[in-house]
Amino acid sequence: MSTTDDVKNRFEEVVVETYTQNDGKEGMLIKKESLVDVCGFLYESGFDHLSMISGVDYVEWMEVVYHLWSYTRKENVVLKVKIDRSMPVVNSVTSVWRGADWMERETYDLLGITFDNHPDLRRILLPEGWIGYPLRKDYDLTIDQYVIIGEDGSDVVTTDASKLLRKEVLHDRN
Amino acid sequence: MTETEEFTINVGPVHPSTHGVLRFVLRMDGETIKDTEMVLGQLHRGLEKIAESRSYLQFVPYTDRLDYISGMTNNYAYTKAVEDLAGITVPRRGEYLRVLVMELGRIVNHMLFTGTLFLDLAASTPIMYCFRDRHNILELFESLSGARITFNYIRPGGVRGDIPEGFIDKTRALLKELPSRIDEYAELLNDNEIVKMRLKGIGMLNPKDAINYGVTGPMLRGSGVSYDIRKDDPYSVYDELDFKVCTRNECDTYARYVVRMDEMRESLHIAEQALDAIERLQGPVSTPYFPRIFKPVRGESYSRIEAPKGELGFYIVSDGSEHPYRVKIRSPSFCNLIALPQMVKGLKISDLVAVFGIVDICLGDVDR
Repeated sequence: MSTTDDVKNRFEEVVVETYTQNDGKEGMLIKKESLVDVCGFLYESGFDHLSMISGVDYVEWMEVVYHLWSYTRKENVVLKVKIDRSMPVVNSVTSVWRGADWMERETYDLLGITFDNHPDLRRILLPEGWIGYPLRKDYDLTIDQYVIIGEDGSDVVTTDASKLLRKEVLHDRN
Repeated sequence: MTETEEFTINVGPVHPSTHGVLRFVLRMDGETIKDTEMVLGQLHRGLEKIAESRSYLQFVPYTDRLDYISGMTNNYAYTKAVEDLAGITVPRRGEYLRVLVMELGRIVNHMLFTGTLFLDLAASTPIMYCFRDRHNILELFESLSGARITFNYIRPGGVRGDIPEGFIDKTRALLKELPSRIDEYAELLNDNEIVKMRLKGIGMLNPKDAINYGVTGPMLRGSGVSYDIRKDDPYSVYDELDFKVCTRNECDTYARYVVRMDEMRESLHIAEQALDAIERLQGPVSTPYFPRIFKPVRGESYSRIEAPKGELGFYIVSDGSEHPYRVKIRSPSFCNLIALPQMVKGLKISDLVAVFGIVDICLGDVDR
């Protein structure tokens, strides 16, 4: 019996749809309210390796994708939750896999998806104060942002190129 | 009695042992590390965003700049995701050639790892030896791809070109020579008292924690988990090759170092088999026709391979156009680094260098 059936039997009306990726991996779209429960269940049934968390912006909605692997069963499974773009919030799975910590921070950093109950949700790759979330499709690429050293030695994001040590225009957009 | 109080100390971003630009903020109690915070992103180039405005083929050279120590495996991981997405199969001779360069790439990576690890521990001889031998492999790569670091060699549909004249003989001579070189490192280092004193019993990570943190690669195998994607979820032609998964049960940094030494020997063994197959098989190394404007079908694929540093994965979403809709990179360095605070907790500051060296990260891979 496949993992999708296991989940369907265990939880009623949680699996919205099942699909197959182009490479043949089985996936399921689940309701976001029961994400942590399903993850906990899958963890208990052997899916102990969280390979990756990715967020995708589909303009009308957003998705968070979880690729799991089981060391004992040697199987893949893909979980997906669909979230509202105006209120991109989803529960954190750090209680199940500690490795989710940085992956969720990265998704928050680059896509602006907030993970509830995350122990320390801050930007990770970009400095605090960065304007916008780069991997969103409507991210404004025309704003030049610079990181300068602030009064107290911390990183400060600015759009004002005149404060740079190197004053000349770095590149001409047109 | 003297009173002590905790203080913070900053290491990096530019520091000889951080192998790039990574900043640590350590909370110290005297010489003992209480807590470690890492500040990432100094080398963030937004590769995932760049991918969205490039064609599928144009993104291949960018993957070289991820983990710039083992470009071949990066090329392959991305290529495999694209091939899975579009359902392309590559001639077997091409697959063997890919395996050959990937395994040589693994040796290059582990040589650089060995060299820099001991350089961090103030031994300057190993890096000379490792770079001498690494150079010979890079020469081979140069004859194949024209580059020594950023290869752009493995591409969707095959590889850039067939092997040049004399390649087989040169490679065979090298494969014959390298085992003695690796024995030389082992002789110098494995039973060295100082090495043992510096590496044994520190940086402990038990198998359960390692799995829960998502640690992969030699780091995981040094914790006694026998897991190798080449074996457990085979890709390319690895299921036809004979090799074993190297593990150690000690869970400390020394175990992780020895795992890598053993892996170099296994990689040589795989490379020999691949070389035999390339010589034996006839035919092309690439698909005969690859469209110039390449538009894979709608859908998504996730491929993960055993890169030298751990599990390297690419998740690609296609909307049917000639640009990928989304590319997400699961980099082994990023995912292995998260376990570092636990591994160095309670150690002395000088041990941080050793434990950090053993994680074997590449900042291009962490920050992307």
